Amino acid sequence: MIRMITKRLLTSILTLIILVSVVFAMTHATPGGPAFSILGQKATPAAVKALNARLGLNVPWWDQYFIWWWHLLQGRLGFSYLLNRPVTELIAEYLGNTLLLYIGAIMLSVLLSIGIGLVQGVTWGRWPARLIGAFQLAAYALPTFFVGTMFILYFGVEWQILPTGGITDLRIAHPGALDYARHLILPILTVGLLGVSGLSRYFGASVHEELNKDYVRTALAKGLTFRAVLFGHVLRNALRPLVTILGLSFPGIFVGSVLVESVFNYPGLGYLLWRSALSQDYPVVSGIVLLLGVITVVGNLLADLVNGLLDPREIYD
Amino acid sequence: MSLSLAENMAAPGGALRRGATARLLGWMGDRTMLVSGLVLMALILLFCFLGGLVYPASPVAIHGHHAFQPPSGAFPLGTDQIGRDELARLIQGGFTTMVVAIPAALLTFAIGLIYGLASALLPAWVDKVLMRVLDAFLALPGLVVLIFFASLLAPSNTELILLLGLTSWPGLARLVRNEAISQRGRDFVLATRQFGGGTWYVARVHLLRVMAPILVVNFTFLLGDSVLALSGLSFLGLGVKPPMTSWGGLLQTGLNLIALNPWWMIFPSAIMIFASIVATNLIGQGILARLGEGR
Repeated sequence: MIRMITKRLLTSILTLIILVSVVFAMTHATPGGPAFSILGQKATPAAVKALNARLGLNVPWWDQYFIWWWHLLQGRLGFSYLLNRPVTELIAEYLGNTLLLYIGAIMLSVLLSIGIGLVQGVTWGRWPARLIGAFQLAAYALPTFFVGTMFILYFGVEWQILPTGGITDLRIAHPGALDYARHLILPILTVGLLGVSGLSRYFGASVHEELNKDYVRTALAKGLTFRAVLFGHVLRNALRPLVTILGLSFPGIFVGSVLVESVFNYPGLGYLLWRSALSQDYPVVSGIVLLLGVITVVGNLLADLVNGLLDPREIYD
Repeated sequence: MSLSLAENMAAPGGALRRGATARLLGWMGDRTMLVSGLVLMALILLFCFLGGLVYPASPVAIHGHHAFQPPSGAFPLGTDQIGRDELARLIQGGFTTMVVAIPAALLTFAIGLIYGLASALLPAWVDKVLMRVLDAFLALPGLVVLIFFASLLAPSNTELILLLGLTSWPGLARLVRNEAISQRGRDFVLATRQFGGGTWYVARVHLLRVMAPILVVNFTFLLGDSVLALSGLSFLGLGVKPPMTSWGGLLQTGLNLIALNPWWMIFPSAIMIFASIVATNLIGQGILARLGEGR
């Protein structure tokens, strides 16, 4: 067990090293280099050279690579070209909002998915399950930015019951936390819908699969009620893959939230990423991409370890 | 499914029973998802590629006196804020969306297939290296990387295809590898190896053949995803360049004017994106459902 965990840890570290190198290569694949995007395309060679020297871009790429690693290990991600602030500071400022949106959306989608998945799994092959299947497909096929904008149009503009974007500062907003929460409802609903479309499908299939297993037949044969079997055994077993799926779907849901945050002008990481990408502020973009990659790798590692605890067979695969 | 479409249709009159039509309907009735997906996809492709012949109006001509008008006889889907024909733009946008999304899905498919097969069939140490690299790529959110490069390059359509293809393959690569690994230990593969069949021969003749259905299914999903990714890019202002447009671009233009609620500029493109993704998923899930029954 300890050996398996060590091995899993080591492969994760190796993956992280490759990830950092890929992101480094990405930022250096820029034509003309960042100096042009800061100074404009008509910059004089002398100005470009001076700026490159100031940004540390005049040394060979392998030196830059090791310097980058050195800075990363110290937790430094460089300075934003545009805002002239440390990237770590910027990310810290926007991360909280994204986490709030994200955790809210994941909680919403997990709760809804468990309910929807149970109904779908139990009625598999009959009309309620088919209806749910159609809903899942529709939710998946609607572009998130379209859903978000429709929410704005109806809840915000037509019926005027919810704010359409942004977020208020907890310290200055008049009704305080309540207003803050009201700003979160539409973004959370939009990201949550995206999450439900995928999660509930997996969960429904997994409930259906569990119901056809021998232990269910045995439990029913020895006189347990269907309800007791469903909530006592099937639910628990069907929930197990959900941990892994949540880990795997993290990047997908984040990608969705980039679009959602830009629809709602919600000041989270996705919004920061979009603004920085449009103005070619590479240090910010690569910092966010790196952070997401690290979160995903660590998240997958944790999901594997949790699964190993829930079911020791998993970790030996 | 208890009653097939053919039985439903043939039962009352009895005239269709055992005829060729009935057999065709019976075949289709068992495959409702697959057939409706194929029909929907065919309609969409016809609209994109032949729509211009039926409705030859220019997508870029500006009718200044008729700007921002809801649908009318002269402009079946109305005009946009500077007076361009929305139906013509919907057709042109569909054409652009498809000529970018289809090659992009093919490229993604090719990279994922080759990477996954190589990982499964080459010596174990190659697999280990390839898998670590794959894990790193899987941890990078594809669209985020796409946004990064799209903002950098201001890509042409060809570059968009390359970008979409180069950023979306990791998921498929993992699937192909796992599938190939589960197939490579089967008796017929072992027998071929025993008789001297090389790695490439096994991949080409056996693995590709047994994996064909699952590959087709995943190609359809890739196609849907690539339409969705392209629309997302266009929404962020990083997709197809003006004056040409894509469905995502049209939708973005409409959504930017949301305060005026120009429904004719929003719903047609939204419906087309929605329909393409529903169609590809119906085809994919339809095939999957048949595979499940076949086992």
